[in-house]
Amino acid sequence: MGANTAIAPELAAADKTKIDAIVKKFKDRQGSLLGILEETQKQNKHSYLAEDVLSYISFKTGVPLTRIYSVVTFYSFFNLKPQGKHNIIVCRGTACHTKGSKSLLDDVAVLMGGEKELEGGEPSFTTADNEFTVRTVACFGQCALAPVVAIDGVIYSNVTSLQLRKLVSKISKGRN
Amino acid sequence: METKNLLNVKINGISYKVPKGSTILKACKEAGVDVPTLCFMEEVSQNASCGICVVEVKGGKSLIRSCITEVFENMEISTNSIKVREARKMNLELILANHPNDCLNCLRNQNCELQTMAANMGIKEGRFVRTKPMDLIDSSSLSITRDPNKCILCKRCVNVCANTQTVYAIDIINRGLKSKVAPYMDKGIGNVACTNCGQCALVCPTGAITEVDNTSEVWNDLQNTDKVVLVQTAPAIRVAIGEAMGMDEGALVTGKMVSALRKMGFNKVFDTNFTADLTIMEEGHELIKRLTKGGTLPMITSCSPGWIKFVEHFFPDQVDHLSSCKSPQQMFGALAKTYYAEKMHIDPRKISVVSIMPCTAKKYEAKRPEMMGGYDYWKAKMNLGEDDKFYDIDHVLTTRELARMFKEAGINFAGLPEEEFDSPLGASTGAAVIFGATGGVMEAAVRTAYEVVVGKPLPSLDLKVVRGFEGIKEAELDLNGTKVRVAVAHTLKNARTLLEQIEKGESPYHFIEVMTCPGGCLGGGGQPIPTTWAIRQKRADSIYAEDRNKGLRKSHENPEVQTLYSEFLKEPLGHLSHELLHTEYTKRGYFV
Repeated sequence: MGANTAIAPELAAADKTKIDAIVKKFKDRQGSLLGILEETQKQNKHSYLAEDVLSYISFKTGVPLTRIYSVVTFYSFFNLKPQGKHNIIVCRGTACHTKGSKSLLDDVAVLMGGEKELEGGEPSFTTADNEFTVRTVACFGQCALAPVVAIDGVIYSNVTSLQLRKLVSKISKGRN
Repeated sequence: METKNLLNVKINGISYKVPKGSTILKACKEAGVDVPTLCFMEEVSQNASCGICVVEVKGGKSLIRSCITEVFENMEISTNSIKVREARKMNLELILANHPNDCLNCLRNQNCELQTMAANMGIKEGRFVRTKPMDLIDSSSLSITRDPNKCILCKRCVNVCANTQTVYAIDIINRGLKSKVAPYMDKGIGNVACTNCGQCALVCPTGAITEVDNTSEVWNDLQNTDKVVLVQTAPAIRVAIGEAMGMDEGALVTGKMVSALRKMGFNKVFDTNFTADLTIMEEGHELIKRLTKGGTLPMITSCSPGWIKFVEHFFPDQVDHLSSCKSPQQMFGALAKTYYAEKMHIDPRKISVVSIMPCTAKKYEAKRPEMMGGYDYWKAKMNLGEDDKFYDIDHVLTTRELARMFKEAGINFAGLPEEEFDSPLGASTGAAVIFGATGGVMEAAVRTAYEVVVGKPLPSLDLKVVRGFEGIKEAELDLNGTKVRVAVAHTLKNARTLLEQIEKGESPYHFIEVMTCPGGCLGGGGQPIPTTWAIRQKRADSIYAEDRNKGLRKSHENPEVQTLYSEFLKEPLGHLSHELLHTEYTKRGYFV
């Protein structure tokens, strides 16, 4: 497409090398943009795509920046902000909702001090110390087990408020 | 047409033969049956997002969007059943739920497709409440204002920006209820690589994208008795302002326009055509110099400010190909505040120059920091300080804004007498008026360059090969044995093709004309809405008619331009020309 600018955006050399290798790996593959973005996010320490990283990917692939931004804001998988070491995902699909997932989400928000952020309509927040990211999904496809919460990739079913507090305190040991 | 390429269809019970491969919408249109559309726009967008064009097809499970569905043999279409009408109305009501009810203070009042659709569908009440949060208005640009609240997500703007212009300044971001049209990271359209061409505003069905309205600033200057307010009108205004004032499409109204501007209170009514002729003198000599003495070739025209910003953003290494000439608008401003001020003994700080342009990008161009030729000229002579700084052009109005001012002033446009432009910045030749159509600058340049180099006039002044709406046109000229290859492109997509050739070192051309907008300035982003290809053609016809009817048709024959050189500039590409009429370009990244 070539709708990027000719001037290379500023980015640390190490990051450039990483992205160069990823772009090369996906070269000439159909639908490569999603793969490139996924791989780049995976290789990032905080699991996110920074603004200058997106600019550089646009520069290397020739995909317009607006297209890339459109894609990363469409898929909730992509993060535009640094993510915490641990992640807690509360399902907010219909089945989980009827089984009380809203109060689970509120509990986590209070535990992590992020009530304000969720009130503002944001679907996720990360604690100031970058330890935890709390977010929601529309459905895990585990409706029979509702309500469902995923912590660091492990899905917990029929979660109660008490159980959730225990799980959270386990991973937040030593944190004030 | 051969019958094997025709299909039998029934539309509302009547049999028709329609070409294979047509959409239902097109087939209905050709059969004379109107199907209402909202998001659809011929040659721009078929996003199928609004659901207004639905029709019923016998045997179909649900209603079908006619804009994207092709007809098949023996298809039975119903465009007007109760089911269809109710669905259309419901779809429209759902769109209206998230559209503010502020038609009375919207720039598109009475010229809005959504408003018209609501009237046609007989919408009497707003049954549904708004579900989207209100968003901020994007006023980061000097050219374009975006009000996302009025957007109906038809994607016409996204498509015209991506497909016609290959600029990709905006796209849909987020998902579901939060979906909206935005630039990268929602930074504001004035902060990203946007060329300000305004084609998005021209295709927007509502008031979600409009020109920045500068009419109140102009009213203020007109009321200020300390100001000498000069106005210049671009070549493409005289074939478009009539339309906006209720006359026929493409009506040629030069004399009425001059008369109306005088009635508004402008002290002098001048013509950008004057500096279009001057541009030919400067640019023609620049081309001859580059051809004979060496210089970057191909040379590319620099009149179209959207194009300039496009090169600066996307091809910064190629800026040397651009002619160093300022655009006719800027040449006019620089001369008004130097030559004219001096000649008439007016303090240049008291002069206000208003441009009437078919263009939103001109608003940005006028405020480029380098466009202060007048100030630089007087700085030492008048001992001016930083506080005295003034731009060469004070205000830029689009055709649409001018029409609003005419209406506000109660001017009965169609009934006005024809009047002449003022002197000495008002005379022009036929070569200048054709600047308004794609290919016009090339044709005008050739008329003069041929005569300068060969020493006798072109055998025929009508250079038909560079006229018309083909995307890229080319021609070869024999200038005293030297073969000169020229090309003409309109829309940035076509311009990009020629630039990529240059980048690869494969360009066979010596001189290229580029106009940002489809059809050239007559199809500019500031022109009356709608601007369709049929309307563009009518405007072009009027432009070439004006050229034919002019006594003088070659720029170097313009008597006032000749006087300007003898009294002031001395010679093309001379010292003063360099100071006032030529400029430099900026290599930009994505965000500059």
